[in-house]
Amino acid sequence: MSLKLFRRSLWVYHLNSGGCNGCDIEVLNIFTPYHDVERLGIKLVASPRHADVIVFTGPITRETLPKAIRAFFAVPEPKAVVAVGSCACGGGIWYDSYAVIGGIEAFYRILEKYYKVRPPPTVYVPGCPPKPEAIIHGVAVLRGVLKQKQRKTYFLEKEVPTLTRDFIVNLEKYMKQEGGISIGKR
Amino acid sequence: MPTSIYEVLELMRKYGRIEKIHKDTYIVEVKADKVKDICSILHWKLGGHFSVTVGSDERLINGYFAIYHVFLLDEQKISIIVHTKANPAVPKIPSITPIIPGANWHEREAHDFFGIVFENHPNLERLILPYDWPEKVYPLRKDVSIEELRFKILKPETVKAKAKPEEEYIVPIGPYHPALHEPEYFELYVEGERIVDAKYKGFHVHRGIEKVAEERLTINQIPFIAERICGICGYTHNVAYCQAVEYAANIDVPLRAKYIRSILLEIERIHSHLLWFGVLFHLLGFDTGFMMTWLVREKIMDLAEILTGNRKNYGMNLVGGVRRDINEGKIKLSLETLDHVEYKLRNILSKMLKLKEIMSRTKEIGLLSREEARKLSVVGPVARASGISTDVRKYHPYAAYGELEFKVPVYDAGDVYSRVLVRYDEIFESISMLKQLLKNIPKGDLMAENVEVPEYRKGLGLTEAPRGENIHLVITGRENKVYRWRPRAPSYNNVPSTLVMLKGENLADAPAIIASIDPCFSCTDHVVVVDVKRGTRRTLRLKEISRGRAR
Amino acid sequence: MKASRIEIFKEALKTGVVTKRYPFEPIEVPEGFRGKPSIDTEKCIGCGACASVCPPNALSIEVDAKRGVKRIMLFLGRCIFCGRCQDVCPTEAIKLSREFELSSLNSKDLYQMVELKMARCEMCGRYYATVRQILFTARNVPKDQRPLLLLCDECRSKVSAKYISYARW
Repeated sequence: MSLKLFRRSLWVYHLNSGGCNGCDIEVLNIFTPYHDVERLGIKLVASPRHADVIVFTGPITRETLPKAIRAFFAVPEPKAVVAVGSCACGGGIWYDSYAVIGGIEAFYRILEKYYKVRPPPTVYVPGCPPKPEAIIHGVAVLRGVLKQKQRKTYFLEKEVPTLTRDFIVNLEKYMKQEGGISIGKR
Repeated sequence: MPTSIYEVLELMRKYGRIEKIHKDTYIVEVKADKVKDICSILHWKLGGHFSVTVGSDERLINGYFAIYHVFLLDEQKISIIVHTKANPAVPKIPSITPIIPGANWHEREAHDFFGIVFENHPNLERLILPYDWPEKVYPLRKDVSIEELRFKILKPETVKAKAKPEEEYIVPIGPYHPALHEPEYFELYVEGERIVDAKYKGFHVHRGIEKVAEERLTINQIPFIAERICGICGYTHNVAYCQAVEYAANIDVPLRAKYIRSILLEIERIHSHLLWFGVLFHLLGFDTGFMMTWLVREKIMDLAEILTGNRKNYGMNLVGGVRRDINEGKIKLSLETLDHVEYKLRNILSKMLKLKEIMSRTKEIGLLSREEARKLSVVGPVARASGISTDVRKYHPYAAYGELEFKVPVYDAGDVYSRVLVRYDEIFESISMLKQLLKNIPKGDLMAENVEVPEYRKGLGLTEAPRGENIHLVITGRENKVYRWRPRAPSYNNVPSTLVMLKGENLADAPAIIASIDPCFSCTDHVVVVDVKRGTRRTLRLKEISRGRAR
Repeated sequence: MKASRIEIFKEALKTGVVTKRYPFEPIEVPEGFRGKPSIDTEKCIGCGACASVCPPNALSIEVDAKRGVKRIMLFLGRCIFCGRCQDVCPTEAIKLSREFELSSLNSKDLYQMVELKMARCEMCGRYYATVRQILFTARNVPKDQRPLLLLCDECRSKVSAKYISYARW
């Protein structure tokens, strides 16, 4: 399903699945005069049946899991998901507690295993809580208006000096010769 | 009537052994049959009030289960903890709910987590744990670990059985939300438009913080999880925990660090009260007020970002002091911001509160008399609006509050309008306190030098959050961890009072009444309305009731 | 009271337009803002101090015995931006920048992985520490005790126990 279907305004349903309310206040903040996201066509709706996008804040707890599943199925296709905050993206600081299922990925695993549903397009907005501008950036990335800046990085150390007894005892002499090994400079 | 500290302690000595834990805090150890007498004397005769009940599994230390009832005496400026032990095989203790109705939820929670049975409790049902929790499994006992709970005892299949997909495809008729099939927060039983009874079901935000803090986190990592308990008043939890550990370990925090902590606490109070005003105006249908108060609030959030690095979750505390400093430029900027905010609020907010519509929808509504407030042991602005003068900053001073001058606003009417006036006065008191703090901040260190924490010591940390008094009880443990940590937020004591306030009122006034205690679940407030005569049930959002679309 | 309604309206007009033009213009964050943490791959020595203080375990360290590398993984999705890793790093390798635009469409983009080569113990042959950590520690150790750093901790305690017992004779 293509994200190009969301070309004009977006209607958003906000679901708090057990968070501390910090991210909820930031989601409400983007409708206040300083950020005013209604000029970009985004509107909060009261019923999931009217929504295009569902915004999750907070980790999914055991008590809210059935309600989150029902709300997810009530949003009609095509839909998209915005996971706001560190609790929704990865489970948060209590990711291993007995009362918490996890972040949005654990939720998708349950949906695949028991309901055979593939995950919809999702945008992850990390932060604790993310700034209102970061949430606007996330929605813009979802719509394809802005390109995402964050990419994964990988580094593998290529060459290491071989450690012999002589090398380590006369470390300062070798450092001066080879132009210095700048490891752990304060 | 005994009034001095010495006389109170002599009276306590007749019931059991008394010991001083740290400054202004005493613990009395009594046998189980004397608990009701001593609690009744402390709450009703000596002028103290009941604060929290903490259960604890101390079988590894001395072989018993322990219960601590904490009472605060404002006149003598001390706190007294009543400690009893229960038999490990079949733990039973007489309940104090018949004499102090405010202890209802506290005892149910101790029963949920430890399995302690309180004799003569009116309804000892499940309160906090999810509805599909198996019987006889008590999560906070020391013989069950998080791994076992997650993977062996609780299986996700039990959750799946309750959420069948066939139930979801229902065509909505009228204001019915198929996603919120089951009642979440309040069940209101109505006859036509009048509310006759109310019940509360909640606690879906239960995340198991106490067990995570006991098993996995070290003493210096817990301030970060304490901040994320609440999304609006998190810094008070942070300070209360750090104070509890500092008192238990006898660590001396430098004065400059105490001033910085007080500055951030007052900034948080201003932003929380402005947020509350916005939510109240929104529920009364006055969106201009909502937008204008949140506009002024943005200036305070920007100030917090400059001082600490983030708009919320300041992350400034460690046990023993603070992590960052405030320099001269920041002090000057803060004073300018406060002047601007004060000017705006005196012009806008005072005029909005004098509008005829606001006054007629909040006066004489949601009444809570002084006797009911004492019985339920409510705290914070709700108590101050019903004629009880209680404020932790004045009567049990902590951080730098002992050196400041301020007033505690108290009103007598007990309705929603009094609570509005209490919070309005508190904003201006906070601004004046901030000016005193910023101008008189002393020089010094930011962190204490010796931060060693000995094992198995008890500490009690008290702060005044924007919603009321906040209390943390900490028992330190070994290997840099805590043995037991119980944070109690002020809304825990205040929410049961809504069930008293709602009876006999109109349905359209319910949102304003529920919002007037400033509960910490402002964003997903859903209500189920049960019409007793017609036998129908509907689920609505509070916004819809307030705009009259509840038909 | 109609008079005060007009006054509120006047105040609203005086405030004017305050909306920031965010996605179309960038905004500035103050100095000291706690944004995205990132590991400087030249300075990291793989000691693991950051992983032991991280409250949500967003930083994790593991040893890959087959390839002889130590892997440090940073998951931004669970990071709470507290800054404790920056406080305890001995070489100032991990720092919090001022970036806050971190949204991504794929959760795998939120990872940063650094792999450092490890050294083998001279006596028993298992991988015990990264080469960079040994060189960093060697600078603060007197020269005659430096050969002990080439052994893993078990072998090192056995050898130094022998030295102590010889000294008593």
